[in-house]
Amino acid sequence: MSKIIASAGIRGAHKIIDRAEKKWNEAMEKFGATQEVAFPNTGYYLPIIYGITGMAVKTLEDMKPVFERCRDLLPPIPAENHHLPYLGPALDAGMAAFFAEECEEAIRYIEEPDFYLSAEEPDEAHPWLGAADDIILRKRGVEFVDGTAPGFAAILGAAPSKEIASEIALELQKKNLYVFMASEDHGTCFAKQLVEAGVQVGWNTRLVPFGPDTSATVYAIGFATRAAMSFGGVKPGDFRKILLYNKNRIFAFAMTLGEVTDEWYANGVGAVNYGFPVIADTPIPEILPTGICTYEHVVSNIPHNEIVSKAIEVRGLKVQVAEVPVPVAYGPAFEGERVRGEDIYAEMGGGRTQAVELVQMKDMNAVEDGKIELVGPDLKDVEPGAKLPLAIYVEVAGRKMQEDFEPILERQIHHLINYAQGTMHIGQRDIAWVRVSKSAVEKGFELKHFGSILHAKFHQDFNTILDKVQVTVYTDKDKVDEITQLARDTYKVRDERIEGMTDEGTDMYYSCTLCQSFAPTHVCVISPERTGLCGAYNWLDCKAAFEINPTGPNQPVEKGELLDERLGRYQGINDFVYSASRQKIESYNLYSIMEEPMTTCGCCECIAAVLPMCNGIMTVDRDHRGETPCGMKFTTLAGTIGGGVSTPGFVGHSKYYITQRKFIRAEGGIQRMIWMPKRLKEEIMPRLKALCEELGIPDFPDKIADETVGITEEEIYPWLEEKGHPALTMDPIM
Amino acid sequence: MAVEIPKVSYTGKIKTIPIGDPSKGILVGGDEAYPFYGFEGALPNAPRIAMDVQDTPPEECAATIRELFSDVWDDPVAWAQKCIQEYGADMIDLELASTDPNGLDRSAEEAAEMVKKVADSIDVPLIVYGTANVEKDSDVLRMVCEVCEGRHLMVGPVQEGNYKKIGAAAIAYKHTVIANTPIDINLAKQLNILLGNLGVPDEQILIDPTTGGLGYGLEYTYSVMERIRMAAMVQQDEKLQLPMICNIGKEVWKTKEAKQTIEEAPELGDPTQRGVLMEAITAQDLLLAGANILILRHPETVKLVRSMIQELMG
Repeated sequence: MSKIIASAGIRGAHKIIDRAEKKWNEAMEKFGATQEVAFPNTGYYLPIIYGITGMAVKTLEDMKPVFERCRDLLPPIPAENHHLPYLGPALDAGMAAFFAEECEEAIRYIEEPDFYLSAEEPDEAHPWLGAADDIILRKRGVEFVDGTAPGFAAILGAAPSKEIASEIALELQKKNLYVFMASEDHGTCFAKQLVEAGVQVGWNTRLVPFGPDTSATVYAIGFATRAAMSFGGVKPGDFRKILLYNKNRIFAFAMTLGEVTDEWYANGVGAVNYGFPVIADTPIPEILPTGICTYEHVVSNIPHNEIVSKAIEVRGLKVQVAEVPVPVAYGPAFEGERVRGEDIYAEMGGGRTQAVELVQMKDMNAVEDGKIELVGPDLKDVEPGAKLPLAIYVEVAGRKMQEDFEPILERQIHHLINYAQGTMHIGQRDIAWVRVSKSAVEKGFELKHFGSILHAKFHQDFNTILDKVQVTVYTDKDKVDEITQLARDTYKVRDERIEGMTDEGTDMYYSCTLCQSFAPTHVCVISPERTGLCGAYNWLDCKAAFEINPTGPNQPVEKGELLDERLGRYQGINDFVYSASRQKIESYNLYSIMEEPMTTCGCCECIAAVLPMCNGIMTVDRDHRGETPCGMKFTTLAGTIGGGVSTPGFVGHSKYYITQRKFIRAEGGIQRMIWMPKRLKEEIMPRLKALCEELGIPDFPDKIADETVGITEEEIYPWLEEKGHPALTMDPIM
Repeated sequence: MAVEIPKVSYTGKIKTIPIGDPSKGILVGGDEAYPFYGFEGALPNAPRIAMDVQDTPPEECAATIRELFSDVWDDPVAWAQKCIQEYGADMIDLELASTDPNGLDRSAEEAAEMVKKVADSIDVPLIVYGTANVEKDSDVLRMVCEVCEGRHLMVGPVQEGNYKKIGAAAIAYKHTVIANTPIDINLAKQLNILLGNLGVPDEQILIDPTTGGLGYGLEYTYSVMERIRMAAMVQQDEKLQLPMICNIGKEVWKTKEAKQTIEEAPELGDPTQRGVLMEAITAQDLLLAGANILILRHPETVKLVRSMIQELMG
């Protein structure tokens, strides 16, 4: 923690406590020790003191132990040559300052009973509202819990002008945040500036003028403290839970506008206790390492036009986009709609022109959220029936974003664009193909709207992993070619990375229990070299799915102690499977078909079965309707081994898994493959060839029999002998 | 040789949930054994029966319901009183049918006023059901929670689409939420997790697995409830260790068979007895599957089901 900030905070706390104590002594003389003190209509007494310490201050006398506690907490002012005063003592000083300020404000309530107006909106004679009563707390606090209002900005000081003040306020309102205002700077303050600018203030507009002094900050912090007790069920005095509740649930931050005094510092470090970072417009020192707050603690010298987005980023607040702003109807109902013939207004890609789409992750400050640009001619600039080149370039940034998630986001472009009425999207990557209908253009659809769609939907569906989305749509040919080249380079890196991932390279696999609704004991464990048996989920998908929905069906599974390398047997996986199958499946092996194979749900793409006579295995995919050498068709096999059971000799798997290195490795891998449908073989041939070359058996694909060779073991055996199939001479499979 | 009866070894128990005015100490749940398996573990709280009251006179309904309730059915307060005084209902369920946006579309404010009136007039626990319209319910039930602060209502159906809004209000104003999912154990668990993450304490959650009446999906509800209860009791699934509530009266009495007159369906026998038995059989089955609270409509059903509960609880 910055020494300058810590020292200033501690100095400020000393000043605040000295002043408050003096006021208290005067009040004791004037009103007597038994004088009642309270904020209006609340069951939480002086809420910060009550919440953090459990002390219920009801009379002036009750403040005595509070000041004693302040003095206990308050560290001495650090000496110049003392280099390490910091974090703990400064935080304590901040908290002590809050206690003292709360007492000070409570004394004001008895000294000037009419100073604050206990209402939802101020009037001309009473510009300050003071403490919120419990009715307001409940009504407004509910919004914090359900996310209607994610949190609040506690603003200290004043903007350079009333115009800037109202711009900042408007932007905070747009993010649904409450704005809690206190403290003056050079004779004016934020709330006054808003009133001068003609902005309506009060609880109803979420712009709450608490008070003119720095000590009015306690109304904001007290609100947060009460929220933890009221909505988090935290007991008074359980300070740890109160602070954590606020850090994790109330997205609040302090924004200082103007010269930061020692007292502001004291309030700032006090707020850090709650996980509320401080964003300053002046060049004060920063505290960037994370620790108490989710990200940085103090960020300074932020220009006014960026201060709100910076604050939101630092506090980790998510942007909410309610609707997709396009002039046509939008929703899954339009996904399958085709745009054909006469109806086509413009066409992009599909072999006639180049069309490409790319999602790239960038640094937080390199992406401007919501910026959507079109470079090149728009639909209205071309004649109906035109063909345009197209590049949709999406730049995203997020605290939790990873490069691995790029392809997952990119894959969404297909259905997200299809959801718009009057658009059609086919393909992906650099073979995309987009059509826009005449009726869509008539309704005002522009190419920029592709960007609006992606911005809105990415925020709606993926806001746990990203914070900013910027989209550029290119129809300028040179630019499209440039993006195409960039995209191809990116795809190459991505493909190599996925291809290069091994099961040994990670300790964390992912579960998928999506199918438990109909196969209650089925548990998929998905590793980099074993995609889910439905073919729909690979390891990266699961990883992203977990980030996006931490309570969903894809959970991380620590593989734990290696029990058997050949079989792919791990203690951690067994423990997980046992509990996730509700004690029905005790264990299974990732890479074996013979010994405790993985469970099969029913939605597997293929099913492999042992062929005892040929000493190998066969596999059949869902689309193959014919008989197979194991004597069962796909449907019979699925009915027999599906439903979440582990059946030795049979296992469900994806098409992709056939060509992954871990394919039934325990029994010898791909070289055990005796038979598969011809069409399936053709489908996976490019990857199959590559794998066999890697294994040093380039002619192996030709040794796999199919239905043209035979559909019984007796029929195919001589053929295998003739081809010299390696399985025939391998160790017995049974 | 004496026969030794095999015993299930339970690893979990159902949480005990207080309902209604806390000073009355009414509890549901707490089961330490499968339904009515008192010989295997403690079942401290017998299942409870609520009777349902409509907030507006039903448009078409079975003749027997009309006979019994048409004198009070334009006044939910009187209807509730009748259920408690004459038929001994343990609790009341107020159905806010009038808020249906496809029907009368009554406002949240009006509905909340009505709930408050009923709540003030009775001293048994009050359940409040919206119309299962995600958007409308979130407005209505939120307002109900606010207006009826301190009444400890049970409000539902709280669904995935509105759990945040209603859940937050339930936390703020201390009501119990009825977590409703469409006959699916995983969705039920997921919703409980989501409510927990929101901050709703377990003691304020009831599971409504969605009720299918006899002949209208009863077996689906039965299976899912059975699985929920097994997950809770023997598979350590903590998120499902909560009492279940079944809204039976509404489902059974809206079916064609329950409404047909003797002239329309002579082969189905006496209409009153027919409806009562459909309701009673549904209730009995769902009790066996683990229901802790039943919402019933016909007083004869209430009598039958109550006597069965008493007999089985010993």
